[in-house]
Amino acid sequence: MLDWLIEPMGYAFMQRAFVSGLVIAVACAIMSCFLIVKGWSLMGDAIAHAVLPGIALAYWAQIPLAIGATLSGLVCASTIGYLSHHSRVKPDTLMGIVFSGMFALGLVLVTHLHSHVHILHILFGNILGITTADFIETIAIASLCALVLLIKRRDLMALCFDPVHTATLGMANGRMQGMLLVILSLTIVSALKAAGIILVIAMLIAPGAIGFLTTKTWDHMLAVAVSSAVLATGLGIVLSYHWDVATAPLIVLIQTGFFLIALSQARR
Amino acid sequence: MLTTLLEPFAYAYMTKAIGVSVLVGITCACLSAYITLKGWSLMGDALAHAIVPGVALAYTIGLPYAAGAFLSGGLAAISMQIVKTKTKLREDAIIGLVFTAFFALGLLLASINPMAVDIQAIVLGNSLTIPDSEALQIAGIAGITLLIMGLKWKDFTSIFFDLNHAKSIGLPTTALQLVFFTLLSATTVAALHTVGACLVIAMLVTPGATAYLITHRFRHLLMLSMGLGGLTSGLGVYMSYFINTHPGGLVVLMQTGLFLLVFGLTRLLKRPCLIG
Repeated sequence: MLDWLIEPMGYAFMQRAFVSGLVIAVACAIMSCFLIVKGWSLMGDAIAHAVLPGIALAYWAQIPLAIGATLSGLVCASTIGYLSHHSRVKPDTLMGIVFSGMFALGLVLVTHLHSHVHILHILFGNILGITTADFIETIAIASLCALVLLIKRRDLMALCFDPVHTATLGMANGRMQGMLLVILSLTIVSALKAAGIILVIAMLIAPGAIGFLTTKTWDHMLAVAVSSAVLATGLGIVLSYHWDVATAPLIVLIQTGFFLIALSQARR
Repeated sequence: MLTTLLEPFAYAYMTKAIGVSVLVGITCACLSAYITLKGWSLMGDALAHAIVPGVALAYTIGLPYAAGAFLSGGLAAISMQIVKTKTKLREDAIIGLVFTAFFALGLLLASINPMAVDIQAIVLGNSLTIPDSEALQIAGIAGITLLIMGLKWKDFTSIFFDLNHAKSIGLPTTALQLVFFTLLSATTVAALHTVGACLVIAMLVTPGATAYLITHRFRHLLMLSMGLGGLTSGLGVYMSYFINTHPGGLVVLMQTGLFLLVFGLTRLLKRPCLIG
């Protein structure tokens, strides 16, 4: 049993996958709690798709991908906000229009500018083949995001639960929402190269949902979300090694399994 | 000049791709008029991702892919309903949970059997390489969908705008809603080929929203949406011949561009919509 767990750890690439996977899981899980409470679950979905043109342009201009991706994510979030304030189209429709348009732009740019960018790696991630530079970048950005979220968790929680309350307390709601969006974009960017778009989206929803279903206080919700995400990630990486299947989808499915267990235990 | 412009039509694969794309564009746009007004936009996106495991499975065991897609789309819709009745989670979280789980299952199936399942074609689509048999399936789906919508569009309109009214005048509302969902999943399957799972949402949302910014009247909105959808879908694939890029991406880019243009005009004229 122990051998079965330890065997994959003999390989350097597995150790790296493990460390980066766990750090990403922690950052995404904390973020997901805020998103669930704020009702922004699909914002993660939208931003994760919308970073593609930023990545394509950053490749082309030879600047760090993280910068292009973050800017692109923020453009998406602010465009959705602007459009929904100034038109009669429903916000969820606008979200769909903006992120799909940006994803399409990214797709067109990637195919036109440089066919060597492996689009499938961006979509599905390549956690077992992560390079040293990407590894360091991922760890640095994801830990930073997790840290800021934990330090600011009281304020952000108040904002997510009751924006009117925070406004009456004299907090700058707009600035805090902006901060939440920046951290969300950064979290997504940090996770993208290792985990891929689909795993990031799942990681930004499922842990928070599990915590929401099983606990009654905010700190417990955070704890459950983080531990379920960490457990799913660790298990997913080890199992994908033994079963020889894609890592990121397996992590998502294990996480879904946890959600189903939580669902069966949850009180209405 | 004219010879250059007509050049794409000299190739059978281009003519076929443009034809299929226009058909899919019109069909999606027809449904998008209803979806955007009902607030089902992200449901379309979820459906597009949720049918991937069905398609992957169908490719693996050699079923027609539409059957697999419909099966997993239906399963996803049922799971969303179950989670919704059992928990207090918000609808957007439930949609996200279910579609990522289904999509992950599809990717997992594809990674187990990479030879049988061309995951890139499912996720990103490629209208230039559609085999004849699948082009026929798509044409069939589009034809049936447009026929039913053409016959029943008024009934659907009353269900979508005022369910109670529809019930009280004796419309079979549950049956009609089921029909709409079936048409939506079938159309999503057809759209997978032209734009892929990630961009189906644009085809199902953007034309309707654009038309909504142009006119008040639903009948005009419906016609306009179908016109815009067909036009952009054909033009996008046509232009991909000259620009040498992803045809589906170009189609969606044109739809988004058109939406932003119309939005800019409404801001300029300071009106909620251009006509009326």
